[in-house]
Amino acid sequence: MASDTETLEADQQFERLKALVHKEYKYIDRKWDAVFWISAAFIVGAAADITMLLFAGDWDFWTDWKDRVWWPILTPFSLVIIGSALQYIQWLAWRFPTGMTYTAICMWFLSTMGRWLQWGNFVWYPMNFVWGTTMVPAGIFADWVLMKTKSFVLTSLLGSAVFSFTWWVSNYVMIAPYLQPAEWMDRILTLSDIQGIAYIRSQTPEYLRIIEHGTLRSFLGETQYVSIVFGMTVTVAGYWVGQFIGRMLAIWPIGRFMKKW
Amino acid sequence: MTQVATAPTAEATYKPKHGPIDWRGGHTLTFVGPLAFIAIAAIQRIWMQGNAWTIGIDASLPAFNETYRAMFYGEVIAATVATLWWWTYLVRKGKQIVDVPVSHEVEVRRIAKFWGLISTTSVELTIMAAFWPNMDGAWHQTAVRDTALTPAHIPMFFLFFPIGITLTVGTYLYGRYWLPKVYGAENGFPWSFFLLISASVTEMMQVAMNEWGHSLWITEEIFAVPFHWPFVLYGWLAAGIFALWAETIIRLLGIEAEIEAAGASGQEAVA
Repeated sequence: MASDTETLEADQQFERLKALVHKEYKYIDRKWDAVFWISAAFIVGAAADITMLLFAGDWDFWTDWKDRVWWPILTPFSLVIIGSALQYIQWLAWRFPTGMTYTAICMWFLSTMGRWLQWGNFVWYPMNFVWGTTMVPAGIFADWVLMKTKSFVLTSLLGSAVFSFTWWVSNYVMIAPYLQPAEWMDRILTLSDIQGIAYIRSQTPEYLRIIEHGTLRSFLGETQYVSIVFGMTVTVAGYWVGQFIGRMLAIWPIGRFMKKW
Repeated sequence: MTQVATAPTAEATYKPKHGPIDWRGGHTLTFVGPLAFIAIAAIQRIWMQGNAWTIGIDASLPAFNETYRAMFYGEVIAATVATLWWWTYLVRKGKQIVDVPVSHEVEVRRIAKFWGLISTTSVELTIMAAFWPNMDGAWHQTAVRDTALTPAHIPMFFLFFPIGITLTVGTYLYGRYWLPKVYGAENGFPWSFFLLISASVTEMMQVAMNEWGHSLWITEEIFAVPFHWPFVLYGWLAAGIFALWAETIIRLLGIEAEIEAAGASGQEAVA
């Protein structure tokens, strides 16, 4: 009996929501949606790009800086921040588990334009030296975790780990060819190291980046796995920084006014 | 405050496809504003393509003085004049119209224009925070940084950064006087605009610390140095822009509710 009542209430709720979705308005139409989603795409992409550029940019600008110690830690941490904020906003407003993917696509477009127009066609580095990271696969998986768990706490714990790991896998596909060994002036270097020597950067600290310094070298080639796991941990913190932005800087101010200032 | 009057004649004053929510009507600014700023950035970028590696590479060259420094002075003067003119217009005109009752149609058109201003702000802030910073990194990490007024800095820090303040404050003034039901002075100062304006103002102020830091600590360009981080932290304040969309869509729903209520009595409410 209780089950029948619950079913009836659910059906009524469904009909109410359906009527609301299909309600005819005089001035509200899909153009407002288009204006919002396209306009927001710019500032979302820019926020994600500048966050990545100034927190982890050096490790992402060049193939020889895409190392196994810092790149897997700093980049997912910086990328997840704005994605997390958009996850909160889109989930709260529409129950769309799409915020991270939306951010990823917006950022990919702006970042690629930046690399191509400025790094590729202004200071003339080949794009295979200055290509940017992608967070699209990582964003899709993090959104999938939110969709399945319907929980920001679980998404921060599981989703951030999935995000960080997927980010590494999807970007490792791109960096792997540049990690092949090559002989250069009687020395064995990676192709990315040779790129770093061949394409001079007069204002960066080192001509040849000293990578994998410190005791991480004692992990016998497992450095990247240690970094990935630590990156997952750090990304959880980044996720909650993003939640703060979404909750307190984007949503909380709605309809709030300072009476005295 | 709400008066009741018949107002269907207001709809007839617009040409076909130029109504309050038409692309060529209320939503026009959504395209025109962003495209204007994209055009300005594109013109500067194309101009630099031909001379950055010749006259832009050495700040001590007379040619640098005649071109890039001249562009710097021109930008600062143009931004100041345009800002003062627009803000003055918004305040003067706004004080005249803020208490004049308007039909729902007019209010909706104003909300559409307000969204156009938000779109313009979004694109302007994007050029400021993603397009030019990529040039900044590319130029300073690989070429030279022999002055605070480098080719990469001039359009970014001294045109698009100050225009960010112009747009955020100007959008607030538009909301305050053209949309008094949402942002009227009697409501207080909106937190949404406080955050958005703070983002643009603090970004401009951070330029000073940035140049001071570069002159003091290091000569190399490392993007992830701590004194660059405030650019990011201040930029996050611009998340307040989402509240602007929400606050005005809530008013749109209010207008629809008022129309529905007035429809029952055959009259339209006039704000």
